[in-house]
Amino acid sequence: MSFVAVGTVIVSLTIFGVFLMGVVNVGSIVGTISSNVQVSAYVDKNINRAEIDHIKNRISMLRGVANVRYTSREDAWEKFKSEYGYKLKLDDIVTNNPLPDTFIIEVEIPELVSSVAKQVAGMDDISEVRYSGKLLDQVQSLASAVRIGGLILVGMLSVATLLIVINTIRLTVIAREKDISIMKLVGATNTFIKWPFIIEGIMIGTIGSGISLAILKMSYDVIIFQLSQALPFLPLISDFRQLFAIYLIVACVGIFLGMLGGYISVSKSLKEFR
Amino acid sequence: MIQLISVSKVFPNGFEALSNVDIHIGRDEFVFVVGPSGSGKTTLMKLLYREELPTSGQLIIDKINIVELRPQQVPYLRRNMGVVFQDFKLLPRRTIYENVAFALQVVGKPRSIIRRQVSLALELVGLQNKSGSFPKDLSGGEQQRACIARAIVNNPPLLLADEPTGNLDPTTSWEIINLLDKINKRKTTVIVSTHNKSVVDIMRKRVVALEGGRIVRDEQLGVYTNSK
Repeated sequence: MSFVAVGTVIVSLTIFGVFLMGVVNVGSIVGTISSNVQVSAYVDKNINRAEIDHIKNRISMLRGVANVRYTSREDAWEKFKSEYGYKLKLDDIVTNNPLPDTFIIEVEIPELVSSVAKQVAGMDDISEVRYSGKLLDQVQSLASAVRIGGLILVGMLSVATLLIVINTIRLTVIAREKDISIMKLVGATNTFIKWPFIIEGIMIGTIGSGISLAILKMSYDVIIFQLSQALPFLPLISDFRQLFAIYLIVACVGIFLGMLGGYISVSKSLKEFR
Repeated sequence: MIQLISVSKVFPNGFEALSNVDIHIGRDEFVFVVGPSGSGKTTLMKLLYREELPTSGQLIIDKINIVELRPQQVPYLRRNMGVVFQDFKLLPRRTIYENVAFALQVVGKPRSIIRRQVSLALELVGLQNKSGSFPKDLSGGEQQRACIARAIVNNPPLLLADEPTGNLDPTTSWEIINLLDKINKRKTTVIVSTHNKSVVDIMRKRVVALEGGRIVRDEQLGVYTNSK
């Protein structure tokens, strides 16, 4: 069995696994963002209680608005520190409160988020509006790029892996040419002759995918830990069932590539030995 | 049992190895196929075990036209014949027992049957004490006897031997031909292609002589060279 063939399988499957994990995680982020029905409207100047109530009433009367909540900059800062302060060590980074007064607007359905946001943005006293829509477009573009680029890369790697496995098995077939010719002479069917080589291909795929899964698992655990420290609000996949499905797909692809390579190689070679 | 009807074989380079050959070989016959190098002996043998296909004509073995067999049917044809070659074709990394047993393993015989039939075959060829040896440990004659054991281990009705004594000394050649004769007496059709004049002349079996791809002589109780 060739180390080159196994090594190629490891590289291809690791990249394939990285691609799959990227797609799944970006999909999770897209899903989280697109289900977010919140609009945040910021006020960058000091406003009094009466002005707060006035703005709140105007927003509440817009079509699609379910609820409006006001958070002062002081309350927002305390809340942020309580959620992320222990992870980000905020007191070392920031000395002045950077957050504005905020109106948190709950919209009834995601489809109305954009129109509510536009209307709120047009109001006096509102300096900035943020909602999931803008970010969603950017993340969806990223998701498409990851999918397309990954598919092309994985496709090319799969072809390269298949060719190397085919070549490796072919060397084994050639080395056993004498055995094969005697097998054919005494009446062995092609199926009987092919099976050991197909099994060799499966072994290459199995060993390659086993090692690549170990690499993927260890790397992913480390990366997820680091990302969750740095960006705790990112909805990254850590559910074992979803990850298990990815690992299973990677293993199946590896074994399939090995089996296919073995089959193609021995079939081609048998045609040459009559 | 075997019938060649107007069989010709022309290779891609234009060489006509066999030309309009008609032969009928009956069950349990012993036939020598003789002729100079290039006369078509080996090509004839290859046609019989479907290593080659004729360019034209029919080749019938036990009422089956083997020319019309699909490639996946050829293994089943070969299970009904044994083939012995000049260069032995033993697997060097397997013992004599394993080499002979191989012919039964590929057809899926159970171990108990394999053990019994291999013992019988090795006894018939006189190698029962060499079953654990490897081919390199045997003399040329012993290796050829091992090949014969492999060829007859599943009791085929037909045994083809293509120059079986080509690499052997005269004494050993006799041993091999006598063994083939013994197998023929056990109701196996035997066809031997050979250059060995003395063996053919003494055995006085049916002789089919080829020259330039054509049959020039076919006689019972024949000799290698027709002095007429």
